Amino acid sequence: MVLALSRASLCRSLPQGTVCLPNVRTYANTPPGQQSPFKIQNVKSSATPKNKKAFSRKNRIGAFRSMNPSQLTVPVLQPRSSLSMPSFKPELMTENMIGQVVAFNQTPNDPIKYFGTPKNMLLEFRLLSQRCSVIRNITILTAEELNSAASEPSHKTRYVLTGPSGCGKSFLLLQAVQYCLAKEWIVIYIPRAKTMVNSTTTHVYDLRTQTYLQPNYAQQTLRRILEVNSANLQTLTMRDGLSYDRRSFSSGTTLAQLASAGSKDPAISSVVLETLLTELCRQSKIPVLLAVDDFQSIYNQKTSYRDPHFSAIRPYHLAIPRFILEFASGKRSFPKGAIIGALTAADPAFPVTNELMDELGVPGVHPRSPYSKRSKILQEYARGLRNLPVPTEFSPREAASVFETWMRDNALTAPANDELFLAKYTESAGNPKAFVWQGILGTLEGAAPVVNESTSWPQLREGRI
Amino acid sequence: MVHILGINLPDNQLARFALTSIYGVGPHLSHRLCARFQIHDKCRVRDLTPFQTTALSSFLQSPKTALPVAQYPLASINFIPRPPSKSIQELQAELNAARAAQKQKRDEKLQKMGKLPVENAKAKVGGRKAPEKKSRDPLTELRIESELRREIRENIAHQRLIGSYVGRRHAMHLPVRGQRTQTNAKTARKLNSLDRW
Repeated sequence: MVLALSRASLCRSLPQGTVCLPNVRTYANTPPGQQSPFKIQNVKSSATPKNKKAFSRKNRIGAFRSMNPSQLTVPVLQPRSSLSMPSFKPELMTENMIGQVVAFNQTPNDPIKYFGTPKNMLLEFRLLSQRCSVIRNITILTAEELNSAASEPSHKTRYVLTGPSGCGKSFLLLQAVQYCLAKEWIVIYIPRAKTMVNSTTTHVYDLRTQTYLQPNYAQQTLRRILEVNSANLQTLTMRDGLSYDRRSFSSGTTLAQLASAGSKDPAISSVVLETLLTELCRQSKIPVLLAVDDFQSIYNQKTSYRDPHFSAIRPYHLAIPRFILEFASGKRSFPKGAIIGALTAADPAFPVTNELMDELGVPGVHPRSPYSKRSKILQEYARGLRNLPVPTEFSPREAASVFETWMRDNALTAPANDELFLAKYTESAGNPKAFVWQGILGTLEGAAPVVNESTSWPQLREGRI
Repeated sequence: MVHILGINLPDNQLARFALTSIYGVGPHLSHRLCARFQIHDKCRVRDLTPFQTTALSSFLQSPKTALPVAQYPLASINFIPRPPSKSIQELQAELNAARAAQKQKRDEKLQKMGKLPVENAKAKVGGRKAPEKKSRDPLTELRIESELRREIRENIAHQRLIGSYVGRRHAMHLPVRGQRTQTNAKTARKLNSLDRW
């Protein structure tokens, strides 16, 4: 009686839905004094040694390692592009080409390969079978500005591309870089200027320049400049010789040889970069474009670096940001060329500062007053920058070209028609990044259900069950 | 593998994180140490130069006898650097000469105004030596490893010596800071003692 009651109370205390069977022993609990029949004991596998560090990072081969693309020789794995579009050329920068998608072809001095691109652009180029972008009216405008800048000193053409997040500033900067390279300018493109101020590269104090040099970053920059501009640099020679750290370069050395020496040895790379920029400021044969993405990161009062007394190092006390600030403010100038910077609107670590917003006339998110904090030195470095606002939305024609490109690249899951295009264009309000990433690539719409008229059961017609 | 104070720092780790394996060095002190020796945040232990490694070990072996960090002059907005052919020794000599000239100028100005230079004024405050300003840099009073353990042992011994509650609790292997003992005092019973470290 007592036992029955206790079992009933046990059944009631369990959650509803569990089946209460009498006289059941769960195999999780073995009776005391016995070994569990289901526990594997004394199994020593000779194949797997009892090494505690077997799963450490060093010893793990890894579940998956991707192969080198050059090892993929099977025909089915060769990259095939179903896209056929004209390749990017300076001659295409005309009014009637607005809305045309053009491809950036692989060339021996491909800036996308050697300089790199911002992260979002890199992801987009990975998804597309060909690296391409659409020509907008702002592209034509920028091309015209660059044409007039080819014969003027760079301190007269200092633009900053502004606009909300995702409006196409980085893409426009890349188009400007490709345009100038095709016109045989010398191009220095820094796609992620954030990496020079976020404490990810070596820094060392130098008494001569009274700044912190960044030797590894300088070495990398020299290597990239050399790879992309080697033809032009071989035609230019040094006017004065250079002797530093038991190395000496005589006055007739080509800039290509100088850059090559600097790109191999980090000990002299900072001095070589400084000399290269000085020599480029003296020659007036070839125009020079300095294009910097993440432009606002060098205008932040404090970088992530700390000096030996633990106070934050300012960007103008780091060697390479100082060069960019000097060119951007007009203190240094190429006899022919232009300086273009592109802001990154939505980066909380390096926001757009008051000094830049004042100079460019950009409203900014938060209201500013004359009492808001501003640095006099950074205001000095921002003087003379001109705002080049990028349109916040695609025109319908540009959006249609982009839509067609992705459609031909088989990116759409839904049937491609006007309704889908207009729906996505409206949802994204024409914002280029939202249109591509949330509109085209992020849509959950699938193919419409096919109606089967022949079935006798109406509920089976659309294949819903 | 880098060895500092007998501790092996794995190559793959960030230097800023690896230094926290030293007893007495936490995240903030580690950041300060890296800043002092110009080690950037994302530097791995394998990327440290031999100079940085030796400087770190010699500093950590005796932090009190380390030289104070010099004030590095930083370039003003219109600063034009000297040509690269100038050697470090010449530049250092120029800097020292400029600093000495500046100091002399300042002293002359103070004397003209009738005020004594700063060092003499300090000694004469109220007949007693003026209290020294406590440095905000924690690296000046850095205590690690055996020194820190000794300090903790001394503190516990002092508490026992003066016959305080804290000392008695340490002696009885019981919780010191007012925790409950009816249940759950296992860690205290295991670890609390007079010769803890």
